[in-house]
This record gives sequence, C-alpha cells and structure tokens, in this order.
Amino acid sequence: MNVFDERMRLLKTVQQMDFVVVEWTLYTDTHPNDEDALEKWREAIKNAAVARKQYENKFGPLSLKSIPSRQALELGWRWNQDPWPWQL
Amino acid sequence: MWVYEKKLLYPVEVTTCNPMLARYLMEQYGGADGELAAALRYMNQRYTVPDKVIGLLTDISTEEFSHLEMLATMIYKLTKDATPEQLEKAGLGAHFVNHGHSLFYENAGGVPFTATYIQSKGDPIADLYEDIAAEEKARATYQWLIDISDDPGINDALRFLRERENIHSLRFREAVELLKDERDRKKVF
Repeated sequence: MNVFDERMRLLKTVQQMDFVVVEWTLYTDTHPNDEDALEKWREAIKNAAVARKQYENKFGPLSLKSIPSRQALELGWRWNQDPWPWQL
Repeated sequence: MWVYEKKLLYPVEVTTCNPMLARYLMEQYGGADGELAAALRYMNQRYTVPDKVIGLLTDISTEEFSHLEMLATMIYKLTKDATPEQLEKAGLGAHFVNHGHSLFYENAGGVPFTATYIQSKGDPIADLYEDIAAEEKARATYQWLIDISDDPGINDALRFLRERENIHSLRFREAVELLKDERDRKKVF
C-alpha cells in the first residue's frame, strides 16, 4: 500500500470512529439516564482516541488538541500544510 | 470555543467537473433550509433554551458546520476546473463575474444568504418546532438533489447528509417531549 492510500485508510477509520461518538453524543443528549448508551458513548470516545493516535503518529495532528512530536517538526511537518480536507 | 479538525465529517469523492450540479448544491450551502441557516439557527437559540436541551442544540449546530464544510468541498471540487464558458452554461455566469471561482453563501437561484431565513422566539417549543421543520425541509432538499444528480460520489455524500437530517429531526422531537414532561411534572403538587 502506498503512503497516500495508507493515509486515506487511517483517516477513514478516524472518520468512522469519530462519527460513532457524534451519534452517541446526540443520543445521550436526549437520553441522559440510559446507562447502556452512556457506556457505549464512553467506549466510542476511547476507540476514537485509539484510531486518532494511529493516524496522527504517522501523519501529524488533526487538531491542535494533539501534541506534535519533535520528530515530525524536524521532518518538516507543519500545521499549515496541505492537503486541507477539501483538497484531498 | 471551537477547535478546527483537519478532516471532513464524512469523505466526499468528486471525480468529474460539473458546475450545474454545484449550482444546485448551493441550495444547501446558502439557501433558506441549508446548512449555514441550520448551524446559525441552533447556535443562536441555545443561549435561551432550558438547560436540558442546550447540549443538543450545541452539538447539532456544531455538526451542521461540518455539513457546511462537506457542501463547500463538493461545490469547490465540482467547479474548480470549470472554464468561464462552462460556468456560464451552468447558469453561473453572474456568479463568476462577481465571485470568480470562489464560493459564496447563496442559494441555487443566486439569492444571497439572509438572517431572515431563521428565527429565535425565546420560546423553547416554538424554537424546537422550527428546528424540526428545518430538518425535514433539508431532508426533502437532499432527496431532490439526489434525484437530479447522477454523480455516484456526490450521491453517496448526499445520502449520508439526508440521513443526518432524519436523526436530527428525531432528536429534536425527543427534546420537545423532554420539555413537555418537565412542564407536566411542574403542574403536579
């Protein structure tokens, strides 16, 4: 698998895992006492963090809430770097 | 506050230049029932609704901004390689002379966005019913867009967005019930 395909594959996993969080968040907004849903929501956040870490370890932070590694900076990674989402 | 995420909510794949389709999609970008109207409507209503539904309005508004970014991506990709002649043929001649290849908050007919598309009544039931109607109107628009488009990548993204309108409508209807329950409980002594 080339670097671009690998990047798109890991990004898609992040998008999937983050979407599960979005969906459970809206559900728990209107079902605050559903213990089962709250546990799934917690699990979803954990899974999304794992997927995000996998992507970011290779391709750099997706937001400024993640710490860029010194190595990434030395290799030339910058926040202001394309491709931006609409350019992919 | 908000933190930018360098990714789309859902992947958007566009392979063919199609300015006519881009023009139709502008209805959901800067139109009355579009994503900008939705995002701004909920983000503004949330300050004065009961605490129970603030989270929902905040979260759905935030999601609408990510839908807006998906629409922008579609419109940008569908028009970026179009010649002025192609844009003119697609009915975007007037858009081109005013905006070049850039995007603008306007509907499919070229009417610029206006805050008069949205309301805020300071009455949670009135606001939430408007929100439910807004989601249903957006769902209908996505259906018409899917019906008129033959681009498989665009249609995949539009189907995702259409389903999100359904979920938002459902959650807003649940929010109405939460408020009614609370109101009814207050009457019991």
